[in-house]
Amino acid sequence: MSDVAHAHGHDEHGHHAHPTGLMRWLTTTNHKDIGTLYLIFALVMLFAAGSMALLIRAELFKPGLQLLHPDFFNQLTTMHGLIMIFGVIMPAFSGFANWQVPLMLGAPDMAFPRMNNWAFWLLPVAGILLMGSFLLPGGAVAGGWTMYPPLYIQGGISYDLTILAVHIMGLSSIMGSINIITTILNMRAPGMTLMKMPLFCWTWLITAYLLIATMPVLAGAVTMLLTDRNFGTHFFNAAGGGDPVMFQHIFWFFAHPEVYILILPAFGIVSQVIPTFARKPLFGYASMVYATASIAILSFIVWAHHMFTVGMPAAAQLFFMFSTMLIAVPTGVKVFNWVATMWRGSMTFETPMLFAIAFVCLFTIGGFSGLVLAIAPVDIQLHDTYYVVAHFHYVLVSGALFSIFAGIYYWLPKWTGHMYDETLGKWHFWLSVIGMNIVFFPMHFLGLAGMPRRIPDYALQFTEFNQIATVGAFIFGFSQLIFLAVVLKTVKGGAKATSKVWEGAEGLEWTVPSPAPYHTFETAPVVK
Amino acid sequence: MDEPVRETAGAYVFHSRPRCALSQGQERRVFWTLAAGAFGIALGFSALGYWLVLPFAGLEVGLLAWAFDALRAREGNYETLTIEGDAVVLEWRKEDGCGRRELNRRWVRIESDCSAPGRHCRISVCSHGCGTEVGQYLNDEARLQLAATLRSRLQV
Ligand code: HEM
Ligand SMILES: [Cu+2]
Repeated sequence: MSDVAHAHGHDEHGHHAHPTGLMRWLTTTNHKDIGTLYLIFALVMLFAAGSMALLIRAELFKPGLQLLHPDFFNQLTTMHGLIMIFGVIMPAFSGFANWQVPLMLGAPDMAFPRMNNWAFWLLPVAGILLMGSFLLPGGAVAGGWTMYPPLYIQGGISYDLTILAVHIMGLSSIMGSINIITTILNMRAPGMTLMKMPLFCWTWLITAYLLIATMPVLAGAVTMLLTDRNFGTHFFNAAGGGDPVMFQHIFWFFAHPEVYILILPAFGIVSQVIPTFARKPLFGYASMVYATASIAILSFIVWAHHMFTVGMPAAAQLFFMFSTMLIAVPTGVKVFNWVATMWRGSMTFETPMLFAIAFVCLFTIGGFSGLVLAIAPVDIQLHDTYYVVAHFHYVLVSGALFSIFAGIYYWLPKWTGHMYDETLGKWHFWLSVIGMNIVFFPMHFLGLAGMPRRIPDYALQFTEFNQIATVGAFIFGFSQLIFLAVVLKTVKGGAKATSKVWEGAEGLEWTVPSPAPYHTFETAPVVK
Repeated sequence: MDEPVRETAGAYVFHSRPRCALSQGQERRVFWTLAAGAFGIALGFSALGYWLVLPFAGLEVGLLAWAFDALRAREGNYETLTIEGDAVVLEWRKEDGCGRRELNRRWVRIESDCSAPGRHCRISVCSHGCGTEVGQYLNDEARLQLAATLRSRLQV
């Protein structure tokens, strides 16, 4: 049916010239254009924040200070974290949502196309504020992505700008979430019941709920920092009777759900990719939905596992310890289901599947180190060491980022109409997996040995593991240039992709021709 | 936008509505769970003295309310175009009310205007210098398909 529409589109080209150039991108309300914009933004930011990471690792190659001023080092760790979270992982998932959710549900577009445009274009503004703050007197923020007072109360002008940027990104996330919730709930094709939706839609729906619940908390927290800084309030300012530890409670009440915002869409992508290449339907679909929902609910009662060292009552420590361990149950259900999906499947190992399998294995390592950190007495040793850095990079790099790679390789043929270069894709995969493990696995040992995080210098006994990590970081970092090359090559041309692309692919999105025509589903498809 | 075209006994009928999978009750429930979550959390922090969460929850719920209101307002919308014999009848309901227009088939022209950057392509049914937009709930491709279909139907 879309072929017909397409043919007509060509007949009409005289009248039907889409605006081109910058104006097209600035004013577009088309979900595919906006998805592309999000993904381009995330890619640019990936290289910006990745370069910061390489500077950090270069400095840490040897003990002592060699390349960077310590304050600049702190700016780099802070901005690396902020940009990777708010500028890379979240926008990339929004990009996937924009492209895929309407296609998966058989909807003509998002529910609020113009709000969608706004949600995207706020992001570059925030990005410029963040990156631009490096040029300000005093440099960028250096107090850590967690924004703790007193540093965030004492810092210079860039702290105000960062707070503004966080507000802008928060507004963008809220608009994006409202759009995703209304699109998923209201724009489904007839017959597409909730329990028939692809899991990616489910995970994004739940993620959007989390965003709606937590974004005002983040906005409130940074606003209270702002008033403490500029208007003489004392919410968190100990000098005026405020409580800096309370900031941590408020921040983590937002930020623990936030880490699930960073991983639930990843679960969704992997749950699309694995069944395709195992040529079996997803094992335990309903349990996947319930597990996702339980993770989301539990994520609101575990926040203080980030604060075991602030001096909480033992009862509170116990509560947060056990509630945190409880999250491992639904997470385990998911890992089990992915493995069971592959069990006795007729698997093939194209690049998306390789990234998805690496996700299952390596994310699980991150889950286990999370469990170790959840044990309060152990965390008191490990808190603020490289063990924590190892933990969250296993869940965020081999977790969130790898799922993004898997999703790009999986859907890029659909989006561009061209197959990517499988050989280059495999090179990218293997160098990334090997590099990633060389950077982050030794960090477990460094943490266990007591090396603190966020410090530009270290004691001599940590040298070897740091050198290994730095070598791994450069392998990992530079292999991302292969990714860039693959993407550019695929966009420009390549073997023609069939409309189904993958033999085992299922779902509405694969029924439209590749590349997905500028608009799809002029008549609502019926889901059997 | 479901079942856009129907043919009944010689007449050509195009009928289209915005997509709407939620009932009003479901919409209300979704809105209130979201609002209750956001306000519940904000009130909790306010009770502890950290009240600046509250205005942001308020703004957010305001935006949500606008969005759900806009969805509700769209719900009953439709547009119908019937070509029967020499008559072309347009009937529609939009947020701002209902309308009906009867035209003589021989005087009707279909115009598509795609000049405005980034906007949707529009098609209108014109007669006597006065156009009425059709195909609002379709996407551009479907709209162009509709334009082509209408043009061929109006010849003869
Ligand atoms: C089984 C699931 C998980 C458990 C039990 C867990 C547990 C923990 C604990 C106890 C900490 C605090 C360590 C400390 O600061 O002393 C922590 C830190 C962290 N976790 Fe997890 N985690 C899990 C999954 C995840 C996931 C899925 C993500 C993100 C995608 C994530 C991201 C983070 C981050 C970013 C930090 C460090 C925050 C910081 O201090 O900068 N975790 N985790
Ligand atoms: Cu946490």
